[in-house]
Amino acid sequence: MQIEDRKERYKRIKLVIASNLEDVSLIGIVINKLCSSIPLSDTDSYQIELCVVEAVNNSIEHAYGNEKGHEVEVIFTLYPDRLIVDVCDTGKPMDQECMEQKDVSPLEIDSNDLDNIAEQGRGLPIIKAIMDSMTYKTQSGKNCLTLKKNIWS
Amino acid sequence: MQVEDRKEGDVLVVKVLNKRLDAQAANDFKEKMTEYINNGSPLIVLNMSDVDFVDSSGLGAMVSVLKLSGGDGQLAVCGTTERVARMFKLTRMNKVFSMFEEESEAIDALSQ
Repeated sequence: MQIEDRKERYKRIKLVIASNLEDVSLIGIVINKLCSSIPLSDTDSYQIELCVVEAVNNSIEHAYGNEKGHEVEVIFTLYPDRLIVDVCDTGKPMDQECMEQKDVSPLEIDSNDLDNIAEQGRGLPIIKAIMDSMTYKTQSGKNCLTLKKNIWS
Repeated sequence: MQVEDRKEGDVLVVKVLNKRLDAQAANDFKEKMTEYINNGSPLIVLNMSDVDFVDSSGLGAMVSVLKLSGGDGQLAVCGTTERVARMFKLTRMNKVFSMFEEESEAIDALSQ
């Protein structure tokens, strides 16, 4: 669908999956294809797929506590100069403070200290490292993580 | 999680046949690798050439397996596609894992 929004053209698609980790790859594959068709490079498409998969995993694992029977919505919007992906759920909201603290520092590790290298907690730092911005909002019971990536115009 | 394995001297070569090492596959992967380690395979080469997607859960499972194996000299990774290799670089995991392009290089490194 192509829409005129305040004179800015954009294309939008909304994808919905059930809150099963088994289904997340479906979202990943579609996002990768959409990015490839812009066209973005193979690496850029993979990295955006990765960010969206991380965000959807967070919704399923943390907002819904791995409980099945809920929905995760992914809205992909392509503007001439940027793409926006909203990942939304109606589960437990993410702690805003925790979200603000999530910079890329968890990606800094001491490779000689294997015991202290974390096995989890890299999802949001990866998104921060790859995307140009990441914002989180809860409104009327709906939590949305919005990812923005600037692209060529 | 589909893998195939074979012995090369003292080294066990495990090839991951799944395309995706993600949150869905992570636990299964960890269990399979733990089984290899507990069954007495201390030197493992992990061939990732068929894997085209790794997320942070998959990476976490790999870190867990590396810890269980006893560290760097015990487990080597080979054949990562360019985009998976970039994910390792982004998360600094290229400094944690011994990584090789060719399987034979990884086997040689662990055999020394």
